Amino acid sequence: MPSAAVLAPVALPLVAAGVIAVFRLAGMRLGRVAAAIGAWGAVAALLAVWIPVRSSLELTLGALGYGSSFDLRIDAVTFAFGLMIATPTAVLLTLQPRTWQEMSISLVGLASAIAAIEGGSVVLTALAGATAGTVAIVLLETEDPRAPRPSWATVLAGWLALSWVGVMLQVGGGTAVYSAVPVATVTAPLFAVLAVAALLASNLFPWRTWPADLWSRPSLRAAGITVAILYPLGFYLLVRAYELGDGRYPNPLFHAGLAILGVTAAFGAAARAQAAATRRKFLGEVIPFFGGFALASIAIGTALGLVAGLVLLATAAAMVACLALLPDRAGLAAMVSIAAAVGLPPGLAFGARVIGIEATFEAGDLLGLIGVAAAAAWALLMVGGARAIGLPGGRGHPATETFAGVSMAIAVLTLLAGPAIAAVQTGFANPVATEVMSTSALGGGLTTVDTVSSVLPAVTLFAPLLILGVLVYAVAGTSAIRTQSRAALFKLPEGGIWQRARETVRALTVPEQYRSILNIRELEIAAVGGQPLLWLAALAALAFAVTR
Amino acid sequence: MLPEAAELLVLAAAALLFALVFAPAAASRRNLLVQGGTGMVATAAIAVVPTFDLALLTIVGLGVMQAGIPGKRTLAVRLRAPVLAVAVLAFALVFLRVEGPAVLERFAAVGLVAGLAAAVGLFPYIHPFAADEPVAASPIVWIAFVGPVLAAVVLSRAEGLLSVDAGQALAAMLIGLGVINMAWGSIASWLTDDTAAAWRYSFLADWGLVLCGFGLTLSDGRRAALLVLFGIVVGRLPLYLVSREPRAERVTSEGPINLVVAAALAGSAPFVGFAARVLLLRGATQLFWPLALVLALGMLLWLPGSLRLGRSLGRPRGRQAFGVALAVAVNVAAGFYPLPLLAAAKL
Amino acid sequence: MIEGVAGFVAWLGASVVVLSDGRRGLALGAALSTLALAAIVLSGAGPVAGIALGVGGLTAAARRLTVGVAGWGIMPPGSTPRFILCVGGGLLALWIALGVTSGHSSALRFAVITVAGLAGARVLSSGESSVLLTSVALLALATAAASGLTEEALAIWPYVGAAAIAASVGWLPQSAPRAA
Repeated sequence: MPSAAVLAPVALPLVAAGVIAVFRLAGMRLGRVAAAIGAWGAVAALLAVWIPVRSSLELTLGALGYGSSFDLRIDAVTFAFGLMIATPTAVLLTLQPRTWQEMSISLVGLASAIAAIEGGSVVLTALAGATAGTVAIVLLETEDPRAPRPSWATVLAGWLALSWVGVMLQVGGGTAVYSAVPVATVTAPLFAVLAVAALLASNLFPWRTWPADLWSRPSLRAAGITVAILYPLGFYLLVRAYELGDGRYPNPLFHAGLAILGVTAAFGAAARAQAAATRRKFLGEVIPFFGGFALASIAIGTALGLVAGLVLLATAAAMVACLALLPDRAGLAAMVSIAAAVGLPPGLAFGARVIGIEATFEAGDLLGLIGVAAAAAWALLMVGGARAIGLPGGRGHPATETFAGVSMAIAVLTLLAGPAIAAVQTGFANPVATEVMSTSALGGGLTTVDTVSSVLPAVTLFAPLLILGVLVYAVAGTSAIRTQSRAALFKLPEGGIWQRARETVRALTVPEQYRSILNIRELEIAAVGGQPLLWLAALAALAFAVTR
Repeated sequence: MLPEAAELLVLAAAALLFALVFAPAAASRRNLLVQGGTGMVATAAIAVVPTFDLALLTIVGLGVMQAGIPGKRTLAVRLRAPVLAVAVLAFALVFLRVEGPAVLERFAAVGLVAGLAAAVGLFPYIHPFAADEPVAASPIVWIAFVGPVLAAVVLSRAEGLLSVDAGQALAAMLIGLGVINMAWGSIASWLTDDTAAAWRYSFLADWGLVLCGFGLTLSDGRRAALLVLFGIVVGRLPLYLVSREPRAERVTSEGPINLVVAAALAGSAPFVGFAARVLLLRGATQLFWPLALVLALGMLLWLPGSLRLGRSLGRPRGRQAFGVALAVAVNVAAGFYPLPLLAAAKL
Repeated sequence: MIEGVAGFVAWLGASVVVLSDGRRGLALGAALSTLALAAIVLSGAGPVAGIALGVGGLTAAARRLTVGVAGWGIMPPGSTPRFILCVGGGLLALWIALGVTSGHSSALRFAVITVAGLAGARVLSSGESSVLLTSVALLALATAAASGLTEEALAIWPYVGAAAIAASVGWLPQSAPRAA
């Protein structure tokens, strides 16, 4: 396979974006076909490059000018995250109608995100990731400037922090290439900055942030694309951090801390979900819940936790497409989607969460408590899911953007894929763990998942459950499901602490007697007035300063 | 001629060409050609002349000629800053040439920094600004056209003239003023009432990065400074020119192009500002890592002002839309692959 | 001895420019400073440099005699701060030239510091165009004269350039400020 093949997943969406723009400027509409070709082309390219050889393919083209070379690589990690990003994006671009600008911008965003995960060095990842963040903001603002969107400052802050990590690696270790960084360079302070960058990139916090907010937009065209391309990137950084640290984070406290943060985020999402006023608001917390749970699993520090987290992320990626296509009206599609989201057995989400919790117990020490907390959060989400079936749908979305059948099919697929979790783990997640943790592949094969202390016979356990579930549905249909409105288990404070704090700060005023000193307008007038005395005083101040 | 100065000169010529081709309808192209051409010649002279004294005299001449262009500000207001700059730089040269206590070299360093700041129009020597003054008569000429070449010439000559101790004092002052200009420029760009003033402050903020880059005295710092200067001359200045549509037609808008422009102005990836910031962080990390933290936090301040400036472009149409697209495309190319620019300046 | 007197005359000329508002006073001050600087430069950089400087400065002085506020205007009411500036500035320049710094030609050091400093201060404190342009001319001459402080071989170009600037600033069109 020629090295240049690694360019394909990035180049194809870019070319498609360019073609769409050029044709439109020439007066011709290409519709969704070109966008679909570009996006599915990226998926196909990833599959075509990885599956035949299943080993790293790298392309290095020389220095770029800021201490980094043009170094792209497709390995197991790239393949896994690439599919997570490209597949839901491709589905959404194929089905949902968009303006040509939105199509082009979405494809550029997809190319940037894939470039971020193909980047062979931290600096290149930062550059491409920041590009993806910028493009996502532009896409959201283009669609609807008044609807919620991520704070540009937090998006930029995350990627700036990552670029700082990259330059620190270059300064301390001579290189920022993932596979070449000396382990000793990855110190605790450096990792702390990397962790902050990852958390900011995906906004993995216990409070409500953009991965939840975006789902309340009037249209979900841009929201779906944004979550698909941006949300996995933070996790990608935490997975690559294992490679930087030769299979672990520099301090056990980072494993515990990030895992605790993850489970807290999951709990926060579940708490908000169970108190949601509409089904759309409940579904908006699904992705943050998946993310929190995945963070806890990935951060725990074991290969089993890592693979569980990856399977969860893959399921979340499928759910992104599912939720973006789901109409707000009640129906079977909504019910099945909720079932898949809450992790009803024997779905993929169920299996991955079970493995994730198992991983925390096997990690030892008090990390098992994290698993207990995760289980509690999961139970809370299930309660919320049961309640959500009876909730009003939400504000509604344009009918042309929703595809109930496709949404339901995706949800059903994740449920049906439960028995195949061992195969998913073996083919999709295991190679990642092998790559970044330098361990041998987890045992078990295509039908079972081997843990340290036990074996999860996925096929033999989940398949009968699945058959049972299908039989129950065939016999009873949905008549046994009571769709009535139920009260939340507990209510969250109105408005939130952050909101009240922000309002308090805004209400602060400078006391009357000090306003003349702190008057910004007066200060500006003084500074730009060209007052010679001020200039001379500045000169004197500088002269004084250099004599100290 | 210094390779950096030569490259910046070429970029300034490109900016002039842009102004001639894409200038708003209200501007007279003939006047722009004459005034811009004269400015180009003077700027080239600053870079080419063999001695620093001649460079100072060229600044005097340029200041006097620019003060003669009809504008809103009085002659006194327009002459003060260049004259102060030359006087202070002249004093610096005197202190460097005479024999005396070591502190004189530090005073010379003060003169070099203050003179440069006064010539370009940086804090605390911000030139008074009239929003509706023609660009050729406004302080924008100094901060975006002449200033980059002037900075390259002054600071490269300073390297050869100052002792190690005085050089360190110079570097410290450059970084200090740089941080102040970053903060002042970015916050003022966000909060000031007038949009034209906001544009001017945004130049100030970028110059803060330039000063920090030069102050880092490492090759990464110089590279960062060059890239920011590139962004000023080939990105910010052309976009500012496009934004100066006649008042009757000016509307604010938030379409895709406005946001892309905002991203370019904010130094977001993939524009040249981001590459410059990476290099600056690298240089600061090598020198003193808390400085890198301060710079990284300061870089976030660009965002609110840039969003405002992006909106102020309104909906560029026809030739101006093409101009904006060209400026953005060049910025993207340089941001992704700045190596040719750096190689041309032998950095 | 001659250089010492020239240094004093340079200060005197610059002071007259600082203290004058009328064109005659400005022309006198410019002429005095020019002659003094030219004399000092003559002995250091050679006759061509000195003559160039002299021609440029005297041309500026002659132009000033015809354009500007009529009369002498030396020490008008309210000029006490300027007077103090001239005396104080002169003393400070003297201290720097003789007490702090050393090297060849203390007169040149004194003349450059005093003329550049007083001319610069005059530009910062006045709004009248004839005053500003005269001060700019003096500043240019002082800047060129400062090139004589270096120990390297002296080129003629700074002096010629300064002379050209000094001679031409007086012809700058003085348009009133107006909108774009």
